[in-house]
Amino acid sequence: MGDSQYSFSLTTFSPSGKLVQIEHALTAVGSGQTSLGLKASNGVVIATEKKLLSILVDEASVQKIQHLTPNIGTVYSGMGPDFRVLVRKSRKQAEQYLRLYKEPIPVTQLVRETATVMQEFTQSGGVRPFGVSLLVAGYDDKGPQLYQVDPSGSYFSWKASAMGKNVSNAKTFLEKRYTEDMELDDAIHTAILTLKEGFEGEISSKNIEIGKIGADKVFRVLTPAEIDDYLAEVE
Amino acid sequence: MSRGSGAGYDRHITIFSPEGRLFQVEYAFKAVKAAGITSIGVRGKDSVCVVTQKKVPDKLLDQSSVSHLFPVTKYLGLLATGITADSRSLVTQARNEAAEFRFQYGYEMPADILAKWIADKSQVYTQHAYMRPLGVVAMVLGIDEERGPLLYKCDPAGHFYGHKATSAGVKEQEAINFLEKKMKENPAFTYDETVQTAISALQSVLQEDFKATEIEVGVVRADNPIFRSLETEEIEEHLTAISERD
Repeated sequence: MGDSQYSFSLTTFSPSGKLVQIEHALTAVGSGQTSLGLKASNGVVIATEKKLLSILVDEASVQKIQHLTPNIGTVYSGMGPDFRVLVRKSRKQAEQYLRLYKEPIPVTQLVRETATVMQEFTQSGGVRPFGVSLLVAGYDDKGPQLYQVDPSGSYFSWKASAMGKNVSNAKTFLEKRYTEDMELDDAIHTAILTLKEGFEGEISSKNIEIGKIGADKVFRVLTPAEIDDYLAEVE
Repeated sequence: MSRGSGAGYDRHITIFSPEGRLFQVEYAFKAVKAAGITSIGVRGKDSVCVVTQKKVPDKLLDQSSVSHLFPVTKYLGLLATGITADSRSLVTQARNEAAEFRFQYGYEMPADILAKWIADKSQVYTQHAYMRPLGVVAMVLGIDEERGPLLYKCDPAGHFYGHKATSAGVKEQEAINFLEKKMKENPAFTYDETVQTAISALQSVLQEDFKATEIEVGVVRADNPIFRSLETEEIEEHLTAISERD
């Protein structure tokens, strides 16, 4: 892109060398609903709060966790509309890779291409950075992987991470509870307990979403009934 | 960090403020309220009804040209609350998009896909400086073959959700409070109950009785999925039914 009348970047350096628009974007992420991810020895789990503005909203019409490919899923903290844009672009990139190489895109490549898009929006003319951080969970030939991508376009691989309102409590909790040899089901329990830590109100299958991928390499969003089962086990 | 917003343009174009907010988007929401009307939408068991005020500011105006209720296709309706000019622009584009969808894919565009398209377009305006967000909240209604009655609301920020009932405009919050009480037990409203809930919600938040000519009502029903605007006589019947009920 590069809108014609705005052929100058809106994200520019401050005298102290900071890119303030990116910092503000991170603030927007930090005021979003908490989400987190854990990498187990045999899979990855990602989860998020799903607090809707009113009981009048049909919660079945909202799904925050999205597939990018059959074996890669993603969740966000921050601005929902910006997330939709990134999901659409990433899905297209994954399809283009598949068409060209006749192989599913590796997780690292998809993360890199998504991050590139996010970086472009911090430098191109007439646009603002994305107000979302993404957690990308996938399982390919290199095994289970979890990546976090920030509005600046920088990304890192994580064993466990959290973002949004409750990030510091959640990360502290995860640091205590995480072990390298965790199995997927343990990871799901830990994810639920972490969400519960800062949760306002009663946690239920209606106000959280969980997505997982195991050695079967199929990313799946859990149904409310399955979440209820895990919640019961956690009690 | 006290460095401030840099050039100070965060109120003029859609860039982030230091608190991570988009002021232009927030001002767009205020513009929706400044239009001075309230709209309500209710989804029943097999029908959807939307209601809005019809304020004709000048007696010399042709009343029939003052409308916020637009058919997008034969089966999809759109109730636009906010700046009239922005609404007309949005509806024209939506009509084009729905027609192309029908041509490309061979079946009617569902309400939720249209809502997503509108929301994605609105998101672009929140990220690109060259176009401001539209000062419109759009409610899209239709009957889906598989999922039944659908009511979606799209706002200037690019959010869209499906609703059991919702509201937009000046008295949005009061109306939502009223509707939350009515819908708490997840009732399955019949067509008449749906229409009367929507109309009585408007009456309750505006705290005045209005005549049939002062509101517009649009409906879609499972047994007649064509979107249509109710005639004045039909609105009269519902108003009478509501006052007899109370």
